Amino acid sequence: MEVFYTSPWVPPEWIKAHGLEPRGVWLARDFACEPLPLAAGVCAFANAVVRLAERQAGSAVIFTSHCDQLRRGFDTVAGAAAPRVFLFNLPVTWQTPVAERIFADELRRLGRFLVGLGGHAPAPGDVAELMTEYSQARQCLLDAVAWCPAREYAEAVARFHLDGSVNLPPERGCPQPQRYGQQHGDDILPRAATSVAAAPGDSRAPGPNAIPLALVGGPLPESQMPLLDAIEKGGGRVVLNATEAGERSLWPASLLVQLQDNAFDLLARGYLANCVDVFQRPNTRLYDWLRGRLAARQVRGIVLWHYVGCDLWRAEAQPMREAFGLPVLLLDADETAPNRNTGRLEAFLESLR
Amino acid sequence: MTSIARKLSLDEWDARYEQLTRAGLREPAYGGPLRRHVLLEGDLRLRQLRFDNSAAALRLWNFLLTENQRLHAARAQGEKIIGTMKDLGTVPVMAYVLPGLRAFYPDGAWWTPCLMECSDGLLQQAEQLGIDASFCPVRAMLPAFQNGEHFPRPDALICSTGAVCDDFSAIAQRLEKMGFPIVWWEMPRRRPPDPDEPACALPGELCAPQVQVDCVRTELERVGQVLSGLAGQPLDTGTLARGIRKANEVRRLLAHLRRVVYTSPGAPLPALELLVAEMLAIHFCSDQEETVGVLTDLLAEAEARLQRKQYVVDEAAVRVFWVNPVADLRAMNLLEDWGGRVCGSDYMFTHALDLIPEDLPPLEALARTALADPMVGSTRERACRIVTDCRAGRAEAVVISRIPGASHCAREGALIRETVRADLGIPTIELEVPPICDAMLPTLASRLQALMETVRARR
Repeated sequence: MEVFYTSPWVPPEWIKAHGLEPRGVWLARDFACEPLPLAAGVCAFANAVVRLAERQAGSAVIFTSHCDQLRRGFDTVAGAAAPRVFLFNLPVTWQTPVAERIFADELRRLGRFLVGLGGHAPAPGDVAELMTEYSQARQCLLDAVAWCPAREYAEAVARFHLDGSVNLPPERGCPQPQRYGQQHGDDILPRAATSVAAAPGDSRAPGPNAIPLALVGGPLPESQMPLLDAIEKGGGRVVLNATEAGERSLWPASLLVQLQDNAFDLLARGYLANCVDVFQRPNTRLYDWLRGRLAARQVRGIVLWHYVGCDLWRAEAQPMREAFGLPVLLLDADETAPNRNTGRLEAFLESLR
Repeated sequence: MTSIARKLSLDEWDARYEQLTRAGLREPAYGGPLRRHVLLEGDLRLRQLRFDNSAAALRLWNFLLTENQRLHAARAQGEKIIGTMKDLGTVPVMAYVLPGLRAFYPDGAWWTPCLMECSDGLLQQAEQLGIDASFCPVRAMLPAFQNGEHFPRPDALICSTGAVCDDFSAIAQRLEKMGFPIVWWEMPRRRPPDPDEPACALPGELCAPQVQVDCVRTELERVGQVLSGLAGQPLDTGTLARGIRKANEVRRLLAHLRRVVYTSPGAPLPALELLVAEMLAIHFCSDQEETVGVLTDLLAEAEARLQRKQYVVDEAAVRVFWVNPVADLRAMNLLEDWGGRVCGSDYMFTHALDLIPEDLPPLEALARTALADPMVGSTRERACRIVTDCRAGRAEAVVISRIPGASHCAREGALIRETVRADLGIPTIELEVPPICDAMLPTLASRLQALMETVRARR
């Protein structure tokens, strides 16, 4: 059974250890492809998750509590789809034992839910083995940051969240293709998953004078990934993808040496300790995470991406300007004005030349 | 001083105040004519409101409108000011039992643009801070902190976070980045207990897993240590139990007042005054003793009127259950002008109205009460309580008032309406009330009047 999850801070290893197939929503087929909702204030991403839960009658969907829209989206489907939807309570604080306890309790509760779906309790050693496997995959993706083109990178990370595999383009000396984990079946293949890397001389390759940008913000599902192409077309290059399921969602494999008996504890603590997101209070870890990378990659501007109605990201535009001393362009998903974002992007890049 | 119950404009209140004074009205230190709030504080919206004509209502309004001055006076006398944020009703119970601490909700600044008819410029200033109209009017809090022209800068800020609305969470985070340190405490999203999971009852006929209550209790213990440090006195069990009893004194009074007003044939007090009175429950408008006095007066007035069958809104009015507080206070007047009356309410803090259990260890009792917050649980649970309260107040219709920009409003209205329609079969309507609703009057009028007509046709 497929179990869709809506936040990278829900461990796919844990789902997999129960014998079910974790599927990050960002690259799921037909996800977020419907017209954006017109109801005032409804977040299109949260709405897409609700639609997914309604449509995928044979699958389970894990909502997370980190934003109002997803919490209340869960409320709308909890009646009809109750046996196969789950609201994972992600703690917002992170500096207290209570946050650790909440996260661990929620993992256990998720385990019981997965068993109820037909999964099995993890066998001894399974969690540790899967943690190792996923950590290696994450590390491989992290290593590819330096060379992988932005669109392909976004797709590769999203694919990792979709099925645990690593599919990087053959490029610049990296052993290719790199694959970890189980391959997906055709039924979950996204529509346009086979983006080819930009070869040298390819007109799509960003030129050497492309302006290095950071793309920071909320979820960037496949339907919104053309934004990355638009940035390159406009003369920019995303050297830091800090969207929800981008590089920010990959935490380094630093815990492997300690794995074995206490794998569950390490999984819980590892996720909480490495969670870097806007909803955390305080959200200083997000800023710390960004600060080093923005400087190291000589980023000259930040594109702050968010869905209409997402207060959590929208409120960060000005603090980011102040914290990093970089220009910030606030872009939202707005299908009523498809060219508006392109025009604004072009103007932003022009101003950075 | 007894006179026929009715509503007065601000102009009419000038004469009424003189009449009351001549008749020997005795007022607390913050008393005086309502007019002065317009002249001295710039509370221009009062010119558009209609107030109850009782001395009790005068005391209520003066109490409300002098809160900032009273906070400044407390600071001047050496008291520590605690900004409690978002939990609406829990942390103040802990703060007020400690000597030298005075807690208030900076969140209350959301009504400042309304009261000052935006002459304060707070919403515009919030926009300059990057918090525009896509956020709820609580964004007024941000520049109010920055310019210090309203409430004093608190000695400490304590904010609940987790399953709270995104607007507030984002704005509070912005506040911290502006140099106002915040003690965050986690409020998990309340969930129903799983089968065989240890669970406990919460106020409001709710229940939650014991593990969630334990987490909230631990967080409140941490908050208590912060407060103890500020007060220089431990917040022990006995002290906290005393604080709970005192808070319950307010809650009992308020429960009695709501019962008298909401269940009576006509309305002995107007909806606007009841809204303000309910707000006193969350932090006692910065003075717990005085809150008891204010509510006692209001209750006495309501009971006396009920005995005399004297109503400010007559018995023919449509009985409406109101959901969510209004950004513009005038909306409560308008409902009554157009033939309705409030017979029940959920202004997003029903957990601050329910009695805190006195037969439990105090922190456990507070944790259970905090977790009963209607906004941290599922909308369905909130809707169920609304249905129960609609029955108690014999509601004929439900109005769901959307707060502009508020993240929870995008979906909750549809869910509440669905539940109300299914369980009660009464008409419901959803409308949005901005901080100044004058420009929306035709729209509001047509929607509310249509609702009244629908109800009357069903009678």
